[in-house]
Amino acid sequence: MTAPSTVPASGLRGRLQGRSELGVAALLAVIAIVIAVDTANIRHTAINVGVMGPRVVPTIIAIGLGLCAIALTISVLRGGHAEAEDGEDIDLTQKAHWPTVFGLGGLILVFALTMDFLGFVIGSALLFYGSALLLGSRRFVWALLIGILLAVGTFYGFVLGLGINLPAGLLTGIL
Amino acid sequence: MENLTLLMAGFSNALTLQNLLFALIGVLLGTAVGVLPGIGPAMTVALLLPLTYALDVTGSLIMFAGIYYGGMYGGSTTSILLNTPGESSSVVTALEGNKMAKAGRGAQALATAAIGSFVAGTLATGALVFVAPFIVSIAIGLGAPSYFAMMVFAFVAVSAVLGSSRIRGLASLFIGLTIGLVGLDGTTGQARLTFGQPLLSGGIDVVVIAVALFAVGEALWIAAHLRHGTPPTIPVGVPWMGKDDWKRSWKPWLRGTVIGFPFGAIPAGGAEIPTFLSYVTEKKLSKHPEQFGHGAIEGVAGPEAANNASAAGTLVPLLTLGLPTTATAAVMIAAFNQFGIPPGPMLFQNEPVLVWTLIASLFIGNTMLLALNLPLAPLWAKLLRIPRPYLYAGILFFATLGAYAAGLQAFNIGILLLLGALGYMARRFGFPVLPIIVGAILGPEMERQLRRALQISAGDPAALLSEPLAVVVYTVIVLFLAGPPIVKALLRRFGRGGPTDGPRAGGGTDDTDGYRADESTVEFDAFGTQTSDGSARVIRVVRPTQGRRGK
Repeated sequence: MTAPSTVPASGLRGRLQGRSELGVAALLAVIAIVIAVDTANIRHTAINVGVMGPRVVPTIIAIGLGLCAIALTISVLRGGHAEAEDGEDIDLTQKAHWPTVFGLGGLILVFALTMDFLGFVIGSALLFYGSALLLGSRRFVWALLIGILLAVGTFYGFVLGLGINLPAGLLTGIL
Repeated sequence: MENLTLLMAGFSNALTLQNLLFALIGVLLGTAVGVLPGIGPAMTVALLLPLTYALDVTGSLIMFAGIYYGGMYGGSTTSILLNTPGESSSVVTALEGNKMAKAGRGAQALATAAIGSFVAGTLATGALVFVAPFIVSIAIGLGAPSYFAMMVFAFVAVSAVLGSSRIRGLASLFIGLTIGLVGLDGTTGQARLTFGQPLLSGGIDVVVIAVALFAVGEALWIAAHLRHGTPPTIPVGVPWMGKDDWKRSWKPWLRGTVIGFPFGAIPAGGAEIPTFLSYVTEKKLSKHPEQFGHGAIEGVAGPEAANNASAAGTLVPLLTLGLPTTATAAVMIAAFNQFGIPPGPMLFQNEPVLVWTLIASLFIGNTMLLALNLPLAPLWAKLLRIPRPYLYAGILFFATLGAYAAGLQAFNIGILLLLGALGYMARRFGFPVLPIIVGAILGPEMERQLRRALQISAGDPAALLSEPLAVVVYTVIVLFLAGPPIVKALLRRFGRGGPTDGPRAGGGTDDTDGYRADESTVEFDAFGTQTSDGSARVIRVVRPTQGRRGK
């Protein structure tokens, strides 16, 4: 059996050690419950007569997810696990660097929230700049320059080339 | 011969200056983005989906076909010049290709991959010309029960058969179906999982789903574990092959094509099994089996051909039945859906010009790729040295752009982030991404077919078995599901004399259910890996279990 390399701690804590995948199983269960509640609230209207109602498929999915959550829990408790994904630029020997991940997520969120105010060009240039710095770029001027060029180029490419109007925001009238 | 007439008409349409330009752009973009480390063909197509908002149907589909093939050429370059492959389908290529490059034969490895891909791609597209109309002629007479059965088959194939862990595959599938559920029910108009949010009532845009799972999830995952310093790349000149290389390559190309096409064509595709089969075949048939593992050219030629042939084969179920079996094919369906022309048998009836122009452009794109990639290979190889912070910042930049452009709603970027986190989680815990995207895209269609089937019978579930094809398909599903455990039990019973000629895959790319393998030193083990293109691969190898367990 896969013995965790760490010294097994006693009690519940020891059992949960290295079993963060149980969180995934819990998430599956939560999604199943959300679907079930949502489905129960679907009104049954007259239009639904004669055809398969809108509840059938969600019910199947909720049951399926619930079963998966149970099976996954059992599998994980018995020591089952799947290897994390590898890739060209991935070094799995290092632990996940959370500041980078949450930093990037935060940047995307800020970008979304300020889109209408700042406009696409400023927002996306800052998104690129911030992401590059978070990912370890130390060429502060270069990264900003590339970000601005990318943002301006894309803006005009979309507006002039594809006819999709991205918001200009603060730069309305300038661009 | 009607096919050929239609194909000729397609050629005359595809050979206009504008369409040639689209093909060229697609091929160049596809190769460039495919070469970039960390970006597979599925992510390439996903990131470029927003272009479909503005371009015309024929042009953008021609471009996407170019991106599809180009992305695969690019992927093989990456796997030969860098040790770790970018796509699950080029894992096998990397085995010998990288060894060849290290031994100073990178030019030959790239050449046999490029020419082999051309040969296989052209032959397999030729096969598509004849097979597709045949399947359409059958499919046109099929009713909802058969369609429903085939979709169930595709679901089972991508989630339970291809991956390493059935539980995780099925969980992924159900998550995908959940995503597909969001929005107003197509028939009854009832809101499901919209949480009163009007922006969700139209459902989540497929572009957002694809970009989130393939681009954001991947970028975040890589960001968490970014390798310090770029991995060493092997400098390479213009690809060429000597007389001996040609002699050793042409048969593997043809064999690879024959192995690859049918695997792509059945709706349980994926290029992982055929590339591996081709590798094993070449090793068996080679006059130099001792070179395998040290850079045998047959080990690049065969699998690369199988890879491309199966990619062309994938287009058969995609175009004729609307069933995607690889991540890239799933994203291609999204492109079709953007234009409101869902692939399927009706596509050939209603849009013959479009379909045949697209098929003709596959031939053209393949030829362009050969002409471009031989001379441009050193240039592409330079792309591997792109500073990683810029690369992944750029991916996030284009991902958010794509999500925003889908409806010009900042709200979509929030959804993007949420589903990106899901993609991250999938990669962290070894959940396959392919079933998520296939479930999200095919889910609503499956519900429609189920409804249609039950409507005819006024709700009697027996209707699902009312067509012979449906019964056959369900039988195959049962065999698929029950087969492997039975075989495994038999192997366990009658000694574990599994084949001993599997390659050792590149270090650390395995993905095992730990509880399966525990006792012996040598285990007949199935493992698969999630890669950026989301499809799990199954490779059977023999490897010592000790020392790899319990890290």
